[in-house]
This record gives sequence, C-alpha cells and structure tokens, in this order.
Amino acid sequence: MKNLLVLAIALLLTACASVKKVESGANLVGERMSINVDGNWNHFDFPGSKPAQVWTMEGITIDELLVYSGIRDGQVMHQESSAGSRQKDFAFRKTMQTEEIVSMLEGVLSRDGSTFKLLKLEPFAFGGKKGFRFEYERIRKIDNVQMRGVGFGAVDKEELFALVYQAPRLTFFPRHQSRIETIAKAVSIQ
Amino acid sequence: MKRRQVLAAGCACCASMIAPRTWAQTTPDYSAPQRFQRPDIASDEGGLWAMMDREEKALRRSPLVLRDARLTGYVQDLACRLGDGHCPDIRIFLVRTPLFNASMAPNGMMQIWTGLLLRMENEAQLAAVIGHEIGHYLQRHSVDRLRDIKAKAAASQVLALFGLAGAIGQFAVMASTFAYGRDHEHEADRIGAYLMHRAGYQVAESAVVWNNLLDETRAREGNETSETSPLFATHPAPPERRDNLARLAELLPGGTAGKDPFAAHTAHLIDEWLQDEIKRGQYAESLVLLSRRIKTGSNPKLMQYYRGEVHRLRGQTGDHDRALDDYQAAVAGDQPPPPAFRGIGLVARQRGQKQDARQAFARYLDLAPDAPDSALIKSYLAELDS
Ligand SMILES: [Zn+2]
Repeated sequence: MKNLLVLAIALLLTACASVKKVESGANLVGERMSINVDGNWNHFDFPGSKPAQVWTMEGITIDELLVYSGIRDGQVMHQESSAGSRQKDFAFRKTMQTEEIVSMLEGVLSRDGSTFKLLKLEPFAFGGKKGFRFEYERIRKIDNVQMRGVGFGAVDKEELFALVYQAPRLTFFPRHQSRIETIAKAVSIQ
Repeated sequence: MKRRQVLAAGCACCASMIAPRTWAQTTPDYSAPQRFQRPDIASDEGGLWAMMDREEKALRRSPLVLRDARLTGYVQDLACRLGDGHCPDIRIFLVRTPLFNASMAPNGMMQIWTGLLLRMENEAQLAAVIGHEIGHYLQRHSVDRLRDIKAKAAASQVLALFGLAGAIGQFAVMASTFAYGRDHEHEADRIGAYLMHRAGYQVAESAVVWNNLLDETRAREGNETSETSPLFATHPAPPERRDNLARLAELLPGGTAGKDPFAAHTAHLIDEWLQDEIKRGQYAESLVLLSRRIKTGSNPKLMQYYRGEVHRLRGQTGDHDRALDDYQAAVAGDQPPPPAFRGIGLVARQRGQKQDARQAFARYLDLAPDAPDSALIKSYLAELDS
C-alpha cells in the first residue's frame, strides 16, 4: 500500500504542485491575517491543500505549517470528499466553542487514519484576539512517523484563523518549535 | 487524494459486504489443506509472499501496532484454535485504526484493526471474523485475486507506469488492497462458520456482527443506499450475507458466546478506542454503536459519556439537551468519568448557566487536575467568577 502512496505523492509533486518561497517579513494570508516570518519557508500549493495554505521548511513530507485564514461559517476545513465517500467532512461553524474547534482540528488531522492525542489546551492571545493554543502527538498513518504538533487559533468576526505546525517528534519538531511560537505571537488579524 | 482512495479500498477488503448464495442449504463441512510451503520466489505467488514479508517487516516496527502482549496473545490463541494445523503460520497484528477491518496475507500475517475490536461484543464474534480471514488464507484466495487483477485492464496501466520490473510488486500491492470477489467471500464465510463451530463458538454470533454493522451503515446513509453506493457497487446486499450466516448457524447449533473473557481482555483499551472512534466524526454511526452498548455493554457509564460527547460535537437542534442527559446519566453513581463534568460545564457555559458551569468545571478539575485542557478550564472558571 505504501508504494502506491509514495507514487501518488510523487505524481502529485511533479505534475501539479507549485512551490513558492515565502518572503521574510510580513505576509498577508487571505484578507485579514498577516504572518511575520524569517528563515527559509516555502509555500506548497497543490490540489487538495485548500482552504489551508501549506508552508514547509524541511520539505513537505517532513514538516508542515497549516495556515487557515478567514474560514467562514459552514466552510469545510480540507478538500471535500468525493461523492459516495465514507469519509466525513469537517466544517467550521461560527458558534463553535474552543473545545469544538480543537475537536474539529483533531478530526481533520486524523482523517487519514493517523492517531491524535491532545497534550495541552490553553488560552492564548492570537492576533490580538482571545484564542487558544494546543499541543499534540500524532502517529502519521501514511508512514508511521511519530509527530509532534502545536496549534494556535482564534475566531474573529465569525471567521476562524489558525496555525497548525507539525513535524517528526525527533529532531525536526524541537528544531523549529521556538520559531513557530515566535511566529504565532506575532500574527496580526485586521 | 489518492491516499484516501487507497485507505478506502483497504477498509473495503474484508469489511466489505458480500452475500452468499445457495451453499447455506447444505451442512457445511471443510477439511483444511496441509500447511503451506513458501512458494518459489520466481512465481507470482512467491512475489506476493515476498511483498507481504516486506509489509510485515514494516508493520512489526509500526507504532500503530498495539504492544499489549496479553490482548495480542489472547487473539493469537483464538486464531490458533480456529486455524488448527496452521497455527504456527498465523501471526496476529492488532493495529490502532478506528475502522472496521481485518485482513490476512498469504504469508500468514493477519491484521485486525481496533475499530473492529471496538465493535466486537464477545469472543464468538471475533472468532467469526478471524475464521473468515483464515478461510481466505486456507483457500489461497489472494493468489486467485492477484491473477485476476493481472489479467484485467489495470495491468496495462501499471505496466506503463512501472515497466515490467516494477509491475509485479505493484500487482501485489493492489492484490492486498482490492476487495475479494463474491465467490471468495461466500467460501470464506462458510469455512469461517465451520471453523468457529468446531472450536466451540456460537455460529449465530457471526450474523450478529453483520447485523450490527448494517445498523451503523444504515444510520450513516439514512436508508439502504449504502448497498448501492459506489464502494459496494460490486457487492451484493449485506442483509443477505447476514441471513445466510443465520441459516448456517441453524445447521451448526450449540457453542458459547464468550462475552466475559473478551471484555476482560479489552476493557482497559475501550476508552482510547472510543476517543479514536469519535474523531472520525461519523456521528450517526457512533450513536448506533454507543446506544447499543449503553443497553448491553459492560461499561454503560463510559458509553453514556461518549454518547454525550457525540451529541455535543454534532450540535444539531436538541443535541445539547441530549448531551446533558447523557452526561448526567454518566456521572450518577460511583466513579463517574471526569470529562463528563467538563461536558456538563461546556453546555451550561454556552447557555449562560453560570452556577452550573462553575460547579461542573470545578468538579472536573478536582477529579482530573492534570487533564490536558485544565488551563483552558481554569480560564473559564476565572471568567465565570468575574
Ligand atoms: Zn472476506
């Protein structure tokens, strides 16, 4: 099964993906969220990545920063399932409380059969709004890699803004965590 | 995305719903072949084994495989009692994935997913599933399937992609992910019933497995459309399969269900499996499963808490009332599940019932001071106090 997956990813990457360097400094994502970065970030654009933007430092199969900006009421958080699929679509609702948003993100991140374990959930000022921060462990189903992740988010004017970063728990996550925390603290939502 | 399709195909394998035909009219009987020798590596079957050996090597290292020696040993023993002379060739892997699936490769590697284990109500049901997989194994169905796939149009595409050298490996992969044909499923059901009967289990429980699964599927689809949905397009209706198994049970009477031993070996893992189940977001299915367990299961309070969670997360009209009812039932009596208090607090907070919310959150933190979300709940308490 894994070989097919590798094949699928290889086709995906060669055929229809585009990679853009993310400029240092402030980057406007969507209409209202500005993210200040330094270092070598690449924005990976491929079919199926929307509505998130997918950024990476180490390469798309290693680490990813999912950027959600201005997700509206009822909007699905990932590429929608095809008709007849047994998979559930996870959609944001403007009435969601913090726990429900985090549960929704758990669902999104375990949609591929990966496990998800919440390690911490706490209040966090995100983009100057009253938001949340969470940490988690995840075993990625596709290749059995043990990941660590950290996420931040807030709802403002009925729209969801969030960052989710995940990387292999050894080496890569510890290497970039403080950079991610700095980015999250500097996010602004207009 | 491709990987989702592959995953879907993977779960279609043996959880797929296939109906038997007329064989249920006669008393089933079966004598297993001799133990298999490793086939010549140059043969297609040898290539399939080699492929599965590589898969197994990877699986052995996988963090998704349960490292629970007691439970794995229990399931291995069960497989041995069913597999008779083939016991030394069967190797059990319990895999943490919240979907209903089991599969057995021609080299003897058997995978059982935790979503299937969660849905088993007793040892006899598990024996039915394992017996069915051993049936595929004993009849070497995967080799037939490999040859069938090779003969089909898919072959030309794979050849074009991989060239001749890569093609054999890819056939093997496809053989492992594609569903069996209906004749194979009939035969595996018949052999499975015979094996479980001989090992002393109630064959009627095999029909219950399908009936339960059918209830969940119908809840998801709202009606019978599951039987015509694309995933099941090539397969006949599951009720027929259930009914044929029930007829087989009449021909093979007696046996035990073994509810207690199964519960004793799985009780400590149910909580984790339910957490995984709920993250699927298949609320209609989960509600059917949990409602059944509240009535008949060994830990109804826990089931009631999780049903409350499903209602709260689904959030349709009336769901918060249903969630509250479930949480309240879960916390009545001894040893309430602590997160049920959090559930009460969250609903109360959303409704502006400050006093109730405050009380419930305080109780939650009392019982679970180190809960992952304790910092957030504390901030709610502070906000309620201000
Ligand atoms: Zn089968």
